[in-house]
Amino acid sequence: MADPTTGLRRPLIGGDKSYADVTREVCAPLERKSPAAWWMTISAALAMLVVGVVAVTYQLRTGIGTWGLNNTVGWAFDITNFVFWIGIGHAGTLISAILFLFNQKWRTSVNRSAEAMTLFAVVCAGIFPVIHMGRPWLAHWVIPYPNARGPLWVNFRSPLVWDMFAISTYFIVSLVFWYVGLIPDLATIRDRAVSKVKKAVTNFFSFGWDGSNRTWHRYETIYLLLAGLATPLVVSVHTIVSWDFATSLIPGWHTTIFPPYFVAGAVFSGFAMVLTLMLVVRKVLHFEDYITLHHVDAMSKVIIATGGIVALAYATEFFVALYSGNEYERFTFVNRALGPYAWAYWIMVGCNIGIPQLLWSKKVRSNVAAVFVISLLINVGMWFERFVIITISLSRDYLPASWATYSPTTIEIATLVGSFGLFFTLFLLFSRFLPMIAIGEVKGVLKYGRPDGKEPRE
Amino acid sequence: MKNDHSGGGGAGPAVGGPRPSPGFNRRSFLKAAGFTLAGAMVAGCDRRKVERAIPYLVKPEEVIPGTPTWYASTCGGCEAACGILIKNRDGRPIKIEGNPGHPLSGGGLCATGQAMVLSLYDSHRLRKPLLRGAETAWEEIDRVVTGRLTGLSGGEKGVRILTGSSPGPTTLAAVEAFLARFPDGKHVTVDALSASAISDAHEACYGRRFVPHYRFDRAKVIASFDADFLGTWLSPVEFTRAYRAGRSIDGTTPSMSHHVQFESRMSLTGSNADRRVVTRPDEQYRLLLRLTALVDRRAGRSPVTPDPGPDPAHEDELRRLAAALHARRGEGLVVCGSNHLPSQLLVAYLNHALGNTGAAADLASASGCRRGSDAAAAELLRELDGGGVGLLIVCDANPAYDWPGEGTFAAAISKADLSVVFASHANETSSVADIVLPRAHPLEEWDDAQPVPDLASVRQPAITPFGETRSLMSCLYRWAGDPVTDLEAIRRHWRANLYPRRATAAGTFDTFWNDTVYGGFARLKPGVASPGTFNGSAMNRCGGPGPRTRELVLELYPTVGLLDGRHAHNPWLQELPDPVTKVVWDNYASVSPATAADLGLRQEDIVRITPGGVALELPVLIQPGQADGTVAVALGYGRMGTDRFSGVGPEWFEAVHTVEPGETVGRNAGQAREMREGAIANWVVVPRPTQTGGTRVLARTQEYDSLTMPAGLAPEDGEPRPIIQEATLAAYAVSRTAGGHGKHELFDIWPDEHQFPNHRWAMSIDLTACTGCSACVVGCQAENNIPVVGKDEVSRNREMAWLRIDRYYSGDHGDVRVSHQPMLCQHCEHAPCETVCPTLATVHNDEGLNQQVYNRCVGTRYCSNNCPYKIRRFNWFDYPRGDEMARLVLNPDVAVRERGIMEKCSFCVQRIQEGKIRAREEHRPVADGDVKTACEQSCPAQAIVFGDLRDPESRISKLQSNPRMFRVLEETGTAPSIAYMTLVRNEGGADG
Repeated sequence: MADPTTGLRRPLIGGDKSYADVTREVCAPLERKSPAAWWMTISAALAMLVVGVVAVTYQLRTGIGTWGLNNTVGWAFDITNFVFWIGIGHAGTLISAILFLFNQKWRTSVNRSAEAMTLFAVVCAGIFPVIHMGRPWLAHWVIPYPNARGPLWVNFRSPLVWDMFAISTYFIVSLVFWYVGLIPDLATIRDRAVSKVKKAVTNFFSFGWDGSNRTWHRYETIYLLLAGLATPLVVSVHTIVSWDFATSLIPGWHTTIFPPYFVAGAVFSGFAMVLTLMLVVRKVLHFEDYITLHHVDAMSKVIIATGGIVALAYATEFFVALYSGNEYERFTFVNRALGPYAWAYWIMVGCNIGIPQLLWSKKVRSNVAAVFVISLLINVGMWFERFVIITISLSRDYLPASWATYSPTTIEIATLVGSFGLFFTLFLLFSRFLPMIAIGEVKGVLKYGRPDGKEPRE
Repeated sequence: MKNDHSGGGGAGPAVGGPRPSPGFNRRSFLKAAGFTLAGAMVAGCDRRKVERAIPYLVKPEEVIPGTPTWYASTCGGCEAACGILIKNRDGRPIKIEGNPGHPLSGGGLCATGQAMVLSLYDSHRLRKPLLRGAETAWEEIDRVVTGRLTGLSGGEKGVRILTGSSPGPTTLAAVEAFLARFPDGKHVTVDALSASAISDAHEACYGRRFVPHYRFDRAKVIASFDADFLGTWLSPVEFTRAYRAGRSIDGTTPSMSHHVQFESRMSLTGSNADRRVVTRPDEQYRLLLRLTALVDRRAGRSPVTPDPGPDPAHEDELRRLAAALHARRGEGLVVCGSNHLPSQLLVAYLNHALGNTGAAADLASASGCRRGSDAAAAELLRELDGGGVGLLIVCDANPAYDWPGEGTFAAAISKADLSVVFASHANETSSVADIVLPRAHPLEEWDDAQPVPDLASVRQPAITPFGETRSLMSCLYRWAGDPVTDLEAIRRHWRANLYPRRATAAGTFDTFWNDTVYGGFARLKPGVASPGTFNGSAMNRCGGPGPRTRELVLELYPTVGLLDGRHAHNPWLQELPDPVTKVVWDNYASVSPATAADLGLRQEDIVRITPGGVALELPVLIQPGQADGTVAVALGYGRMGTDRFSGVGPEWFEAVHTVEPGETVGRNAGQAREMREGAIANWVVVPRPTQTGGTRVLARTQEYDSLTMPAGLAPEDGEPRPIIQEATLAAYAVSRTAGGHGKHELFDIWPDEHQFPNHRWAMSIDLTACTGCSACVVGCQAENNIPVVGKDEVSRNREMAWLRIDRYYSGDHGDVRVSHQPMLCQHCEHAPCETVCPTLATVHNDEGLNQQVYNRCVGTRYCSNNCPYKIRRFNWFDYPRGDEMARLVLNPDVAVRERGIMEKCSFCVQRIQEGKIRAREEHRPVADGDVKTACEQSCPAQAIVFGDLRDPESRISKLQSNPRMFRVLEETGTAPSIAYMTLVRNEGGADG
């Protein structure tokens, strides 16, 4: 039964691989001794993590005063980092859920890593709402459960409570989704394992997968259901995060455009991060045949599209501010562009609107190094977007007498470094112990685009 | 088998004793385990060690735990001697408030006076007498001094007692009696903030040395030449109250005095003036001469003093003022803060010529403030240098710190045979004295005061002295062989001298005395009947104006709070933002923007100024509204021992010390002054300052100073933000809503979000009355246990004050206007903070209060971000609150907040509760005025009114319908409970 389109499309996976090739190549990094490069990078990541742990420990012992916040600017690096990481996490769910439902088969090469990235980014993000509290040891008070504190309930009007629900839901669903997707691959590892311990462990975690038709059927059913469940989360999480700002009273925060703006920005930054990571993984683990230039091209196009939405949002915000006649709002936006933090604003505009336009060129899209640099710059730009929204808006709000400038302390910078350390540490451990490419799914698309629908070699 | 060590459970194994080792059987294991468990439980039950909570065995009659006791007394913060009430809880004073019954100060009290309660618990105060640096017993001091005195009765060497103007009538009598025993005994009164020229001028004009009692409430036109009478001059609380009384515009016909201020720096008083004329200090005499000539001409006289001719810059202003003063003859007042005799002669003449002397410039009643003589200071220096002083006693003065000339006094005092210095702290003078005697805190001693001749007040102790202190009067009586206690001495003096002059006829001395102690003061019959006649020939001493110069002038001025530096050990006052510059913890060289450009200076550059051999290195502050060609530096800084504050505030690795160890807070500028024409001049000509190349951070509580948006970020012709409503009196006379920004059409989706069944607390703040004096800021700090955070935290914009005063400049350089706006929690009905708190830590109660529940707060700071007024304060650290002694000042009714939680103005909920409890005990509803917040209570201008909107007869309810009422950021829909009243200025001098 030949696919009528066969021959018109490029294969998703290059190199004329057999099923066995796929298994062998994807499992290879797990089975060989860790190369020196891996040890070096994880050492660097751990060093960054240690810096962060020291900084956070010092901050928890001493007080939020070790951050540069002040009476006017109550959030800065903390919530900027939080929104940044949550945004990063969006690409994973989008790739695994929405692209799955839309039958975008090219997702199979990147979905595993993207999902892992999502989880790790949400872990990084989740730290900040806790440590930014003055009394983080009472962080559980934002969770509604029967308690002996009165009993006192949470304030369901507070977007921070919504956040708590949104993020914990997102984390749990993403984790389950990722894990379910891992089950067949864990079984593959089990089957290839030499050591008894490894066999036992992977057998346990693969739920005794037997590869039968029925197992595959059940698996695909639940995967589809989970994809359906995860899809609304792609939109909801960042929508709710944006409500932290949108429902407030502060000019620059109080904006109805925020939910779509934040979601687009999150996908934008998420894809940039996926690209950043995948381009490295592709090179280091020799996955060029799996993560092909076609993938890079597709993801670049997503970036152009979401970057366009982000640019439109920036322009709309400005237009509404100027058109509204609200002098506070108007000032906030002029102040962003021309005030004391203008440099941050222009970094944001340059990285998020200017740089991605290069991706319109096919030449740039097929230049891996160029795409890598662009993806990094987009990450920088998106970090600054959150900084611009949060900090600049706060620093000059209603009463000029309470305007205040903010500058980060060593501790805040170290905490940001630490969050990257945590992210990279988790990702490097993932690359070492779990298959970075969904073996089962890739095998499913192996014949895609091959002439005459030829089955791969056995 | 029986255990052979049974019964040893409590003592534990004996060390080294013979003990057979039976092994550890099951029985002994269970025993040991049980004992350990029981012990651990007992230890665990004791959550916190209770320390020193010793209950009364016999309860003192007046002490009811949890209930404050109030004592009426007299403030010792400065010479103004305002009436105070001391709030005692459990035997310790915790707050000082104004005495509402006091005829001069009323219920208000300045920042300094209120902060005095903290000085009481200052562990750095001297506690024992020092003889040549070593602690010794009083008996030894008595022996040394009396030994020296016997050698002086012959008169070969003099006995000198140097004091400021603080001593009350009994001390003065003691001084007089003591000195009378010596052929050459003299009492020298010198004020660090001298008004000597005023007294000298009146001596020349009326033959009697005195400072008139100025009554600003009687003045319709006030012309002030550099007199900061609302801030630091003579009696600011009394003057603020009177000034406000003369500017009451809510009557049927608005009546408001017209205040013209001529000054070089931007003072608090100048910031409130209707018209402010910026002049160099060396030009003021010329302006006064011109004004005198204009006034004389208007009255049809030829000028009694040389007429310098039209002033090129200010002729119109002077003509207008002369016309206004002339038109309001008998209802005007001219005051001058300059310590320049000819200027003060002109002022005395102007008040005389305009007929103001019977009214606002009250000559019949002399002020007790700053009656010192600078000439006497000069003479004392000469005597000391000549070696003619056998005994010098110094009390309530610090001449080695603030007399002109670096080291002049320190060198002179060593030539006295014996010098005795009373000091509360080791200070500049005590460090060069032979004997240092600990000076009691005003809350620890009996004393008295007589601020004006017809009013005497008593100072009573509210606590047993912490140190072995003895007052000046007590020492003098004892050394004169008449050992009486202070109380006995005062009663004796009052019985003999004041009781006969009592205003109320009836009563024995004891009832008179008891009433006085109870109420804090006694009215007396006026002492001087006639001020005497004006001696016109005195005006011959007023010469011509001298040549104009463009030299740089250094002006030295006292600050609200520290005054002459006597309060430099008080961290509340060090951290009190200057009402105009908003700088804390430093003095600085303030220059106008043009002068800064001229000299190439930028904000916070350190410059070296060298007035007369003294080198001052200070950071630059660029001050709009200051005269070009002048540098202004605050007095009162650079006090010895202020490096104690190096550790104030939280400690963490990026923290910067408030002051480096071994340095001082600010620099001493007092010695930069010079003795000129018989008085300590408050300005000197200085060479062009040089930049040292360094910079120093100035910690300010306000970063941006204007309601107009920064240039380049808003249209050129953009309106200032409508945060403050301002109007001129002329416009206000036409329309009571003048200056209003118009009412917003408010749409409310929760019109009945809150029900207020019993009370609804609200506040109004009259911006016309508010002078920005910052009394409320310290009042709030004392009431609500607000910590001192240090310079570094303030420079990081993390000051903790619940109530701040926003100060905005407007207008251009030539005519800078200032508006002050107290800003505190607005207790919004639709509070943005309440909706966003995840843990319901900030909620609305059914009395209209926006409450902060500290225990519920997890510290997300979302509430603060969402507050458009930014009045919420976060505990960034666990703030150190001084040592154990300093913590005694904490108000037990208010929780001390831990780190990581949000706090803010509570509308003094503890005072509301107290008022409600009192009303309930008396079986009556809460009456208007039963509850006063700390800020309202402290306000000398009564700008703040607090009350219950549910009571239609309350003042606050009536103010709601005042057309001047507006709410800040009303358009955001927050529905604030605080109403502000339009700031009205009488710019044109019109009077309805």
